[in-house]
Amino acid sequence: MSLIQDVAGSGGPDPVPGPPPLSRRQKGSKGLSPGARFALRKTGAALGTLLFVLVVNFFLFRMLPGDPIGMYTRGRNVPAEQLAALRAELDRPVLEQFLTYLRNPFSSTIDSAQFNRPVWELVTERIWPTLLLVGTAIVLASIIGVWIGIKAGWRRGKAFDKVSTGVTLTLYSMPEFWLGMILLIVFGVGVLGLPGIFPIGGISSPGTDTSSLAGWLDVAWHMVLPVATLTLVYLAEYALVMRSSLVDEMDEDYLTTARAKGLSDKFVRRRHAVPNALLPTITLIFLNLGFTVSGAITVETVFSWPGLGLLSYEALRGPDVALLQAIFLLFSIGVVLANLVADLLYALIDPRVRS
Amino acid sequence: MRVRRLWQARAAIAGAIAVVFALPLVPAIADESGSPSPAPNNSGEKTVFTVGITQDVDSTNPFTGIAAASFEAYQMMYPTLTEYSAADFSTVPGLAESWEESEDQTYWTYKIRPGLKWSDGKPLTARDAAYTFNRVINGDIEQTNYGGYTSTITKAVAEDDTTLVLYVKKPSPIMYQLAVYILPEHIWKNIDGKQVKSYKNEPEGGEAVVGGGPYVLVERRKGEYLRFEANPNFYAGKPAADEVVFRVYKNADAIAEALRKGEVDYANDLSANVFNSLSGVEGITTVPSVYSGFNEIAFNMGAALTDGTPIGNGSKLVLDPQVRLAIAQATDRQVLADKVYGGFASPGSTVIPPLYTNLHLEPADPVTFDLAAANATLDAAGYTMGDDGVRVSPDGDRMSLRLLGRQESSESQKVVEYVKDWLSQIGIEVKVKIVSEDTLYEKVGNGDFDMFEWGWVVEPDPDYQLSTFTCDQRSTEEDGTIYAGLSDSFYCDEEYDKLYQEQKLETDQAKRAEIVKAMQQKLYDSNAYVVTVFYDNPTAYRSDRWTNFTPQPEPDGVLLFQYGTWSYQSIEPVSAESGSAASSGGGVNPGLIIGGVLVAAVLVLGGVLIGRRRPADDDVE
Repeated sequence: MSLIQDVAGSGGPDPVPGPPPLSRRQKGSKGLSPGARFALRKTGAALGTLLFVLVVNFFLFRMLPGDPIGMYTRGRNVPAEQLAALRAELDRPVLEQFLTYLRNPFSSTIDSAQFNRPVWELVTERIWPTLLLVGTAIVLASIIGVWIGIKAGWRRGKAFDKVSTGVTLTLYSMPEFWLGMILLIVFGVGVLGLPGIFPIGGISSPGTDTSSLAGWLDVAWHMVLPVATLTLVYLAEYALVMRSSLVDEMDEDYLTTARAKGLSDKFVRRRHAVPNALLPTITLIFLNLGFTVSGAITVETVFSWPGLGLLSYEALRGPDVALLQAIFLLFSIGVVLANLVADLLYALIDPRVRS
Repeated sequence: MRVRRLWQARAAIAGAIAVVFALPLVPAIADESGSPSPAPNNSGEKTVFTVGITQDVDSTNPFTGIAAASFEAYQMMYPTLTEYSAADFSTVPGLAESWEESEDQTYWTYKIRPGLKWSDGKPLTARDAAYTFNRVINGDIEQTNYGGYTSTITKAVAEDDTTLVLYVKKPSPIMYQLAVYILPEHIWKNIDGKQVKSYKNEPEGGEAVVGGGPYVLVERRKGEYLRFEANPNFYAGKPAADEVVFRVYKNADAIAEALRKGEVDYANDLSANVFNSLSGVEGITTVPSVYSGFNEIAFNMGAALTDGTPIGNGSKLVLDPQVRLAIAQATDRQVLADKVYGGFASPGSTVIPPLYTNLHLEPADPVTFDLAAANATLDAAGYTMGDDGVRVSPDGDRMSLRLLGRQESSESQKVVEYVKDWLSQIGIEVKVKIVSEDTLYEKVGNGDFDMFEWGWVVEPDPDYQLSTFTCDQRSTEEDGTIYAGLSDSFYCDEEYDKLYQEQKLETDQAKRAEIVKAMQQKLYDSNAYVVTVFYDNPTAYRSDRWTNFTPQPEPDGVLLFQYGTWSYQSIEPVSAESGSAASSGGGVNPGLIIGGVLVAAVLVLGGVLIGRRRPADDDVE
């Protein structure tokens, strides 16, 4: 169980700060409530991190060796002058490239060497499928996972707990792509004479109009297997964390007090234990949200889902420096923002943090 | 009151979950024709031929795309002047019905088929062709994909609607096969040289992309699929399949499963395992398909820049032709073809694969696998066996060589292990290292290698492949950075270069073939490459739905991804009488409904469980 608590603990919001002595309030923040100051500090730290990422992001990929243009054009009849022209952008002095990049990191003037197209155009094409897939899975997983965790934790040692802990531990340790393959073979291809109900891959069927109701249904039909795969894997984590934090709360004095007041077991659980036990789970959910954009490379590959995960893998070939840079910037922003939201939300629901 | 609201919220969530899971089942159950890849039938419904691809088309603009699938799309959408025949890659009429070089070899005249129309009904004439060529010749971005074809052409002139004249700087056999896609001037004249880079050339507002090939692009979803419709104005007539769909799958296994299920009709590049698992499946036909690719063990024959400055750290040992010969003698190409490629390959020989029957040279005196002969070769050359079983060169160097294999290819990794084992038996120690292809490309360009395993896919025109052995294609240096040329063996031979220039100017195709063969012999004799195998392209298709594919070359070449669109033009849906089209994964069957209902029941039950109201929840705060 300690392992699971570690999972929740690592990468969680900053440790609870002690109450600041009133006399040492800083000038600039005079008049601000402790909550506002907390929010300001956290936002500032997030912005600092982003700035750091922005710089590192640029130089990190410049350190990779390789001649991407030569690599991409190998085996193709490209005249020498054309090769030189294609290399021109990458051959500019690093400082000059850095300044261009700093002026607008989201500029669409920088092309992917591999796809010969503006990088942000490529990236934005792939964001929505990933958000749709991972977002849906996280929402479903958090609802189902938390429910399982509560039910198992509250009646620790009972049949439901034993079964659900066993199942969730199994799911938790299961590689996503493997589970995906199994689901694909069973429900996509069909086994033992059962027909395959769901499509093998993709996000829609050729020729359907995605703006129509039929189109939406078609997309939903394609979503079932990949979303189910991710949901099963994610919910295991949520359920385990929820269960262990609820178990931690159960011996607390305030629950004894609540029971002593004559409240029913259910009421004690719902109004007293669960809200407190939810904190680590909420942190975990929001931290995971940060990874939604980076998506699930393996699940996207298994189900041929046209998302960002695969694009980042493709960018590593060559390497496609400009594209890698754009993707990693996006991923970093996602994680930093989600961290910030987790921090702020934590303060909102747990007054101890901001006091 | 509060409790009540909680319950309502929970019920709403449960309902939402149930709906999310149950909705998708609706089309599967209710929509009788809702299958993604309807089987062809005779009831007047559209016939759709679906091809599974693992790499998406990167751009439908023929000036900017570079992926193999993109070029497959371009040849569907646009005609070229001439075509490579399906039978043997000889030149046959395309948009041009005839062509002729002028007596003084300064221009070529192409007679364009008369009375042709683009898919939008506008006339397709020599003027469109002249426009396209001039655009490439004078273009910038336009040069990227087609500059290799137009480098000898100075200008294009349409003398009338059916006569195209291309003026050339010097004679060139490339004029027989200009793989430049002819574009409609009335569309492309509105896209200038700056806009062309970002021009998408995709269907807009339901309007197909105007084209002149056998199919026109009607729908594109990036990362998902491309949908083409048969072009009734195509010069060879409207193809039989009403629609062709290229559907993207991100791994080869998924395509195989999709084929089994009937989501796609065609899959190639299959692994030997997948191919074998599909053999014998009802409704599916598997074909090994000979292909134009070869793999080789290459040697560092003296890495240098084009000016002759040596680079890199290659071993002196492989500079000795006798050492390379011994390694060739110690390489059992048949075993590699059988064991590593599972039989889907044939033993290699020269750098122009045998499917190019007009150009391939079968060496008269082939090197055969013979470890004793290999040992004798090394003995005779003065390499004496050391105590540790590793030979020592006349200069006193221990015979230890580095061999690089490719991470991306499991075959590559097996081949290098086999070679290592064989060479250990002739007293050569091999240190194998597996690297990614981009690392390998980098190392080779810098000359930091002794031997490596890689391969090429060879075009029907031999020029490009032969150029990879010319002195000019060695690496170049600029501002301290070394850039790889096309040469990865650093083979450099004056006589070979002379032959290369000769074939480049020879417009008599038979004479050119003789030169090309002489060049292959030189390469074979030098053992610059030990060509290990010519590999196949294992392919499977739904023969219960489609028939009459055209292999290129005949009789056992590839069925799609050819030089040309032969199969797309020839395939026909299997008729209901002769085939079993109705039984394929198209329509709905009772099993599907039962399965759907079962899953829906389970999921709805799950949803209800979550939202189930607890009894007697009447506490007060």
